[in-house]
Formats: sequence, C-alpha cells, structure tokens
Amino acid sequence: MGKIRLATEWLDACAGCHMSILDIDERILTLLEHAEITSSPITDLKHPPADGVDVGILTGAVSNTHQVEAAKEMREHCKILIALGDCAVFGGICTMRNFFPKEEVLRRGYIETESTHNPEGIIPDEGIGILTDRAMAVDEVVPVDVYLPGCPPSADAIWYVITELLAGRKPVLSGEVLKYE
Amino acid sequence: MATVNITINGQKITAQTGQTILQAARAAGVDIPTLCEHPALSAWGGCRMCLVEVAKQRTLQPACTFPVSEGLEVWTESEKVVKTRKFVLELLFSERNHYCMYCQMSGDCELQDLAYRYQLDHWTYNRTYEPKPVDATRSYFVYEPNRCILCRRCVRACSEIAANHTLGLKFRGANSMIIADHDVPFGESTCVECGTCLQVCPTGALIDRKSAYRYRHKGDVQKVATTCMQCSVGCAVEAVTHDNLVLRVEGAWHQGPSGGLLCVDGRFRPLYDTRGRVTTPMVRRNGKLEPASWDEALGLVAGKLKAGGALGVAASCTTNEALRAFAGLFAKAGGKAGRAEPALPVIPGARPAQVSDVAAADLIVVAGADPLEQNRVVGYFAKRAFDKGARLLLIGDSPNGMAAYAHSVFPEDEADKAAAMAAGAEKPVVIYGVGASEKVCKALSTLKDKALFLGLEPGPNGRGALQAGLAPVTAGTAPVVFLLAGDAPEVRTAELAGWLNGGFNVVLASRQSALTDKADVVLPAPIWAEQNGHVTNLEGKELMVQAAVQMPAGVRSEAEVLQALASLL
Repeated sequence: MGKIRLATEWLDACAGCHMSILDIDERILTLLEHAEITSSPITDLKHPPADGVDVGILTGAVSNTHQVEAAKEMREHCKILIALGDCAVFGGICTMRNFFPKEEVLRRGYIETESTHNPEGIIPDEGIGILTDRAMAVDEVVPVDVYLPGCPPSADAIWYVITELLAGRKPVLSGEVLKYE
Repeated sequence: MATVNITINGQKITAQTGQTILQAARAAGVDIPTLCEHPALSAWGGCRMCLVEVAKQRTLQPACTFPVSEGLEVWTESEKVVKTRKFVLELLFSERNHYCMYCQMSGDCELQDLAYRYQLDHWTYNRTYEPKPVDATRSYFVYEPNRCILCRRCVRACSEIAANHTLGLKFRGANSMIIADHDVPFGESTCVECGTCLQVCPTGALIDRKSAYRYRHKGDVQKVATTCMQCSVGCAVEAVTHDNLVLRVEGAWHQGPSGGLLCVDGRFRPLYDTRGRVTTPMVRRNGKLEPASWDEALGLVAGKLKAGGALGVAASCTTNEALRAFAGLFAKAGGKAGRAEPALPVIPGARPAQVSDVAAADLIVVAGADPLEQNRVVGYFAKRAFDKGARLLLIGDSPNGMAAYAHSVFPEDEADKAAAMAAGAEKPVVIYGVGASEKVCKALSTLKDKALFLGLEPGPNGRGALQAGLAPVTAGTAPVVFLLAGDAPEVRTAELAGWLNGGFNVVLASRQSALTDKADVVLPAPIWAEQNGHVTNLEGKELMVQAAVQMPAGVRSEAEVLQALASLL
C-alpha cells in the first residue's frame, strides 16, 4: 500500500489543536512513513491538492464566510474528514459569542474594547470573511466522518485516531483519549 | 423483611420488597447511571438517565422510581438502553451552555462523567444559545442557569434537607428556571446560604466563589473527614484540599449529628476569615509586640504563672485535648481556670435528645435560645419537623428567628402553660439555651418523663470544656490572665477581649485580632482545619477532628504548647 495523503486546515481556531498535532513529537517520523502531508496552515502549501487527499483534518469552528468556504473545500477534497478539537466538534469556545446578537459582538470587538482606538466606529467588511450569524461546529456546515473533541485533544488522542485510521478502523474514543478539555 | 426474586442483566438477585430497581441494583453491585437522583434526596425520576429495560413494560422505565416485584426482569445496559441514554445526554448537552472547556466544574461534573461513560464524541442536535441571566447576588456562591440541567436536586435539597423552601421553578420544559421565592434575586431571598444546593448540584450551575477554577479534578483534590468546629452541633464534614489549601467544605452524607446538612457558618465562613495568622510567638517589649522564640515566650509565661494567682479563660473553640492540657496547666500552676461561655441551665431530670430527634418531634418547645442563629442546623431540623406538622411553642418574647414558625408564644411567666400543652404531644422535644431562666427550667422539668431535651451548649466545644473541668468563669481580675482563644471566630473578639484585664495578658490564638493587640505574650495556635483531636458535641458525643492541612511553620498544637508550659513550672 502506498502512502495515504493527509491535509489539515484551521478555521476559527487558536492554533492550539495544530500545536497538539505537532506534540506527537518524533511519532511524526513514523507518520511520514505512512502518510504524505500535502498541505496545512503551517506548511508552504495551504490548500489541499486538486486531486484530493485521503484524510482531511479541520480544527476550529466555522464563524465566517471564508471558513465556510475552507470547510467546503476540505470536504470536497478528502475521503475522510476529521473534526479535531472542541471548536470543530462542538463549536467550542467560539460559540460564546452565540449568546449575543452578531451586531453586539462586532460593536464590542471593533469599537468598545478597552484597547481599541476607533473613534469613527468603523466595522471592517471588505477583504475579510463576513461573520456568520453563529459560530458553528464543522458538522453544521459539512458532514464529518470522525470526531475528536478536546481543548486541545492530547497528542496521544490524535495519534490514536491517526493510527486507527491507518489500520483501517474507525476510531472509537473512550477513557483518556475522550476529553472535552 | 419480605424479599422478591428479580433478574438484572441475567443475574438472579434477591431484593427487598419496597426497593426500587436502582436500590436493588446498587445493593447487588450493578451500576445504573443517574443524574437527578441523589442519595440524600427523594427520588424524582426526571432526568431519564437511569432508564432500564423491564420485561413486559412497553417503554423503558426509570430505575430510581420503579419498584421491584417478584419475577421482575431488568436489563440495565442493553443496546436500546444505551442508545436512549446517549440520546438523553445529547438533548441535555444541546439545551444550554454545556461547553466543558471553560467550565469550572470540569473534571468533577456528573454530566461530563456520563458523557465520557457513553462515549459522546459529538452532539447531533443544534444548540439554542438562549442566554439565561446569571445570579451572583449571594455572598458565597453563584447561580449559572446556563449550566443547569433542571434536575431539581437543589430544589429538593432546599426543601427536604434544609427545610428552607427557598428554591422553586418557573416556566415549563426547556425554559424552566430555578428561582428563589417568588422570583427575586437570590441575595434578596429567604436563602440562608447553607450551601446544600451547591453541594448537590451535579453540574456547574452552582459555582462556589472561593474554589471555582481552583483544582476541581477529582484526582487533584484530597477529602479529609473531620468535624465542624463552628458550633456545638459538630456536623460531620469533608474538607476538600489541594496542596495544603482548604478549597471548600462539604457535608458528609448520612454521617454525624446532621447527616450531611451544614450551615453558612460551617461551610463558608471559616474560609473567608481574612485576619492574619499568628505564626510566631510574640513578646511585648517597650510597649511593642515583637517576635520571640518559643523558649523565650514560654519561659516568660511560665515565670508569670509560677507567681500564682493567674486566671485561665478558655474560649471553647478548641479540642478536648487542648482543653484538658489547659486545665492541667492551671492545676499545676495553682491558678483558677474555666471556660469563657456562660453555663447552660440545668433542667432537673431532663433526658437528653439527639439532634435527629428534633426532626422527628411532633411538638417543639424553644426556651432561652435562638437555634437558627446559634446552632443553625438544629433550627433546620426543627423546620423539617414543622413541615411534617409539628407545632412550635416559643417561650419568651425577645426577638427570635423561630418566631415566624411559632404556633404559640408564651411569656416566661407562663412557661408552665407551654409545658402543659407540650405534655399532650406524642414526641415533644425541648430545645433550651443559656437564656432559659430558672423559673422556665423548673416549669419545663415537669416534662421530664415525656419530652427529650436538647441543650444548646454555647461555644463549639463547651461540653468538652466542662468535661476537662473548665466550668464557666465569672468575671474577675487577676495579675495574670491567660486566654486560650484558639481559633475563635472574629465575631467573638469583643466578648473575649473583656477578659484581658490582667496586669499581664497571655493570648494563645490562631489569628491576629484585638485580642492579640492587648496581649503581653502571644502564642500561635492552629486553625480549625489544622487541628487533630476530639470535640464533644451538644449530644455529649466525642467526635474526631482530623487535620486537613498542615500548620504553618512555627505553629504548634495547643496541647503541645500547654504541656510544654506545664513542664516548665
């Protein structure tokens, strides 16, 4: 069997989940024996290749129009989609804003925060993703095949999921690899 | 007791008639998950976590309310059951804000535990994100309704355990909200902050201000079984600690005089004492208190005691061991010693009651005491009895926290009328305190063959002081006054300061206060959570006190200090 192809992307995320992926440490060498990492936010190539990958990993919630596109792009280019981390799985901490109207969130974020100097009260809307009404879990936008919650999931949990997939099994999480924090 | 034969998961079990499936399963070691159920509360059957498959029943049944019967066949983890429990959990998680990653309860949450148990790796249903207003108007804990699963444990705890009936519910279904009284802010309600609801809450909906976000994970904390030393009831508590720090205090269910019920004084107040600790002996030099070595301080005190005529005053806020050592010290020194608290009057022939007898009474007489202020748990037990129809006869017309519950109030002169009325009851209990006059006690003693009597001993360990031979001291002056203040709470400072009128004052105390300010020698003492030993409660039971945390460097146990002093005489 040849190497599988793997791509990752982050959406509304703090990068912690990608840090946790890197925390598999030297196991990444074993991974590279079995998989080719085609693209990720922390490599030169950012987008999954046109001919697709076997496994796509999305971290972060879907909170703006750009992230909706990125989630769809990954879904269209992968066979198995992993939602990795609490934000991708549940919406996570990003959903804190869902308890407030979008307008209030933008006003607070761009105008009212104590460290902000914005006397004209401009809320930018050009060249950036437009906030969706709510921060969403990935599966509210595209179908997800494997869920791995955690804030972030531990490197061991990530390694468990990857090795299960490499072994041709659907990962079933329990015990130490199933944590919401 | 009659038994029935049932089968749980194919295992034949003999169960007691009257048990629920849950009780029978637990007795047989079969674990059925629950959320709204709690061992100290009545069954509710609301959360649907304990649903089990029962042969010949059309639908799954809640194990916590379904009674066992002959030949009953039950499956607790069948595919259908597991699927349903997962479904219930998904609904619970979807309804409000149940994001664990920023919840202070994570790691010690019953909802989270169940989600892990049933391997919930995502939620199928959309969340509503309807914000519910947080209520932070109470002093010691916060209500976060967005974390609430509406299990009503708190409501039941408030009614059944604390008998306070503050908590209720408004609206229906998913919109239901826990409310206080007729929907007023909790801080303005009839809530007494006993914290029972806080302790039984299975999720993060009730947040302890002191310990929130400080080591919640079960593996991160230790629980030490000990006895509350805030009043003479002596409730059984568990001090929850991490790294030599008391995070919170919890009641120990089904143990001690109160069975797990605590009051605001026991659960919260000791953790909010902000007075600085005394961690080294202090000696007054040129009018100023200065740190001194133990040898110097003890030598100085021993010298003063040797001169004779010293007066020893013990605030009964310490262990039997320390009180005995105090009495022993003064026996050797030849001075007079006693406890600071006044004497509880003697009712001739009175048979002593247990605290639990109060809740079982059909008539309660209160004389010379305000249990809801002095020994709150006794007051809550009385309120449990009132809920079952017991009448309260209050003697004396001074303001009393129990007045609102009184069937009749008698002036002291008419105590005999109260006694006559009580004589007609089945199980009367008399609660009396230091305020009961001789005349009232005489009238109440006519009930000696009928009633049980609970004397509210003043001071947390007043009984222990008496047993140590420390009878109440009457005011007097002495060339040397030695005050064993121990871990006396701040509210007693003014009262205890009245004793410090000697030419030379020695104060053994855990914290700095106006008492230590008046002292010529200050000796450090442990706080309650650092004590090892025993106390004797108002029932006369000797209860064990166990250190939950270690004393700061430089502090020694009171008994050790007092024995060291005695050896210097």
